Amino acid sequence: MSAADLTGLDAFLRIVGDDLGLDVEHPAGADLALTEVPGWDSLNLLRLVVLLEESGHRVPVHRLLEAQSLRDIHTLVKEYG
Amino acid sequence: MTDVHIAATGTALPGDPVDNTTLAKMLGASKEWIDLFVGTRTRYFGWDPATGEVHGSLADLCAEAAAQAVRASGLGLADIEFLVLATATPDTLLPTTATEVADRLGLDHLPVYQIQAGCSGAVQALDLGRSLIAGGRHAGLVIGGDVTYRFLSPRQDAAKIPTNELVNYVLFGDGAGAAVLTAEPEGERIAVRSVLNSWTGRGRQPGQLLDWYGTTDRDSDRPMLAEDYKAIEEHVPPIASEILWDLLGGLGWSLDDIGFLLPPQLSERMTARIVERLPDCAAREVSCVADTGNTGNALPFLQLDRLVPELADGDRALGLCVESSRWIRAGFALEKV
Repeated sequence: MSAADLTGLDAFLRIVGDDLGLDVEHPAGADLALTEVPGWDSLNLLRLVVLLEESGHRVPVHRLLEAQSLRDIHTLVKEYG
Repeated sequence: MTDVHIAATGTALPGDPVDNTTLAKMLGASKEWIDLFVGTRTRYFGWDPATGEVHGSLADLCAEAAAQAVRASGLGLADIEFLVLATATPDTLLPTTATEVADRLGLDHLPVYQIQAGCSGAVQALDLGRSLIAGGRHAGLVIGGDVTYRFLSPRQDAAKIPTNELVNYVLFGDGAGAAVLTAEPEGERIAVRSVLNSWTGRGRQPGQLLDWYGTTDRDSDRPMLAEDYKAIEEHVPPIASEILWDLLGGLGWSLDDIGFLLPPQLSERMTARIVERLPDCAAREVSCVADTGNTGNALPFLQLDRLVPELADGDRALGLCVESSRWIRAGFALEKV
């Protein structure tokens, strides 16, 4: 997978759903507060960080902690390229 | 019950410390995440984090810690009248690791017990040792240790590991600890004033699972280990406070009487969270998990080993331990005499 693959929100939500196994509606789930995303927790954050790195997106964890929603995380993914 | 005394302690940690950079590489995970969410700086593995090659066993570590404790106690091996070993991860089901350790130490013709337990096993060993001494024995060894080589391995696929299994990789390490118990004050002269050991898990789901496979189910895909970390985060802090009050109340001690506190050691961050929620007191915290990782049954002994040089005559200390596998409350109260 190349770095460009996750710049689209759909592709990003797909890995959250398929690879993390979280039940996130497309696209409404992107704006849910992370605390409201079923199954979202710190360990799934770690798994997401790994998935992002495997896809060539290295986003610092301390920046991800500022995110309130999956859309915020996706914005950081785009910001860090 | 008559007081027993801790005459000396010993510890063993295998190889060099494994830092978070190495652990992250082993898992294909994020060092920054481990730093932020676990906080533990180093742990020890009796296996190579790059290749998985196993260098040592639980018996190796327990024998090393026990021999160190006996040497430090000033007693001879001939003075040791029983051995109790607590572990969740024996090298083999039979012979017990306890008998293997007795053999390596050169002990013979004495009762040897093995307790199957999680982190509270060290306190269970202390409890059993206390009963043996109350029954007329003069001195004995209590040992606790755990190893991870059957449960963790280098795999570099953190994203594919279920979260309740993944958490174990960032928490645990290998280690062993031991103490020599005596009927009369000897060596360090630390009186065990009270031991709390109470199962309180009736009707509750396990917080930690550690399974094993045999010849008939070796191809099973059921998980070997899983931790309900959310239940642990929720329940351990209040239980730790309850243990503290139980110990104090049973002895008629007040918080101000306590010079040292040995809190549960889950991870650096989790232990900090537990301590924050304990009642305010001036007692100095004695923790090891940030340096050693969570070593299960070894932890209370590793903490004791750090406490011993700090204790002055008359000082009092409390140890708190919560075993989340099936919710066992454990603890002990000490006083240097």
